Amino acid sequence: MTAKAAGVAFGVLLTAGCAHHPALIAPALSESTRPVVELTDTPFFPQRDYQCGPAALATVLVASGVDVTADELVSRVYLPGRKGSLQVELLAASRSFDRLPYPLESSLSSLLSEIADRHPVLVLQNLGLESVPIWHYAVVVGFDADTDRLILRSGTNQRVEMSARRFMSSWKRAGSWAIVVLEPQLLPAVAERARYLEAAAGLEAARRHDAAARAYRAALQRWPEDTTAQLGIGNVSYARGDLSGAESAYRAVLRIEPAHAIARNNLAQTLLDRGDPQAALEEISAARAALSDPRFAPLLAETETAIRRALQSPERQSQ
Amino acid sequence: MIRNSLRRGCVVAISLSLLNLGSPVVATAGIIDTQSVIEAGQRDADLATIRSGLDRSDVRQQFTALGVDSAVVDRRLAALTDTEIAALADRMEQMPAGGDVLAVIGIVFIVLVILELVGVIDIFKKT
Repeated sequence: MTAKAAGVAFGVLLTAGCAHHPALIAPALSESTRPVVELTDTPFFPQRDYQCGPAALATVLVASGVDVTADELVSRVYLPGRKGSLQVELLAASRSFDRLPYPLESSLSSLLSEIADRHPVLVLQNLGLESVPIWHYAVVVGFDADTDRLILRSGTNQRVEMSARRFMSSWKRAGSWAIVVLEPQLLPAVAERARYLEAAAGLEAARRHDAAARAYRAALQRWPEDTTAQLGIGNVSYARGDLSGAESAYRAVLRIEPAHAIARNNLAQTLLDRGDPQAALEEISAARAALSDPRFAPLLAETETAIRRALQSPERQSQ
Repeated sequence: MIRNSLRRGCVVAISLSLLNLGSPVVATAGIIDTQSVIEAGQRDADLATIRSGLDRSDVRQQFTALGVDSAVVDRRLAALTDTEIAALADRMEQMPAGGDVLAVIGIVFIVLVILELVGVIDIFKKT
């Protein structure tokens, strides 16, 4: 009897000692998420040579509805001298196709939420060591909480299963960098306001005006009082030559935040372009009085100079 | 003579237009872009928009030196924000460039050979 009990106790100890790593996926799933998801219709582009960047990017771009191949992306993201692609260039190239690259928060749960929302996730992994890094892009297209494994399109393999533990260590060694590439009117599964607006402003900076406008409008729907999204709509309207649209967007910002010196500066410029330098001068004076960040002071001063010049030579106003 | 100066004029015009191609995507005069406002809220450093001109030509040079075709380099730069350009200008060499798994095999092989040679492992033993 005692020997038997001892045997059982030994067995229990043995099992406990057996290094079963705690599951990572199940605790990271939100309650409503299914335990097994695989986006099987995600395309696959086997990489060539050192070109996992173009291959991974083509995978997420095509999944978001863009008609492109990995080969076409080589000239946009590949750096021959580095035998690879930089993260920022993947963002930039996505913008060139009117897609919004949204960097995820560095957590397994945000990655899983996006996949559950049918957004394949482009990740950077370090398959080497901290000191001898081997950088690699792949696309996570599924997960299985029962086996605690992730499913990836990676390199020349259409379907790679990787234990969550191994994936997490390779991902963390690469700074836990992950993006989803979205049609700009769609928000990610977990949309963080500042992150989303920065991504939208990236489209504006890349002069993808229509895409930027769609992203700003999506942001305004989610966060109706957001002055940055409203300012963005003004800037995109201005860039497209829609001065009255720009004016009303800047005025909308100022209704929410009267001391928004940047919106007022941009409004002043718009009024100047609309041929009303007198009103523009009032706005730029108010903007300079309200400005709290000295780094913008030279830009506001430039706007004022242009306005005063227009006031002095009325025949130039019409330009 | 006239022909020569015409030619010189053409060369100057073409060079200027090339220079112009290379000129940074400057925000429309007077309008402050959304990126700068977001950046100003995040950082105390110089605004990337303001330093963007020098940074862009610096990054263009680096890209060209790394083998990017000059016909596409400007299209690539145009899709980057001033903040990204500033980051590239500051620390492009330290930025990871995602490459290839095939390279992994090569590097792992070299590491194994070194470990073998210094006697840490002995997987290549003939016995």
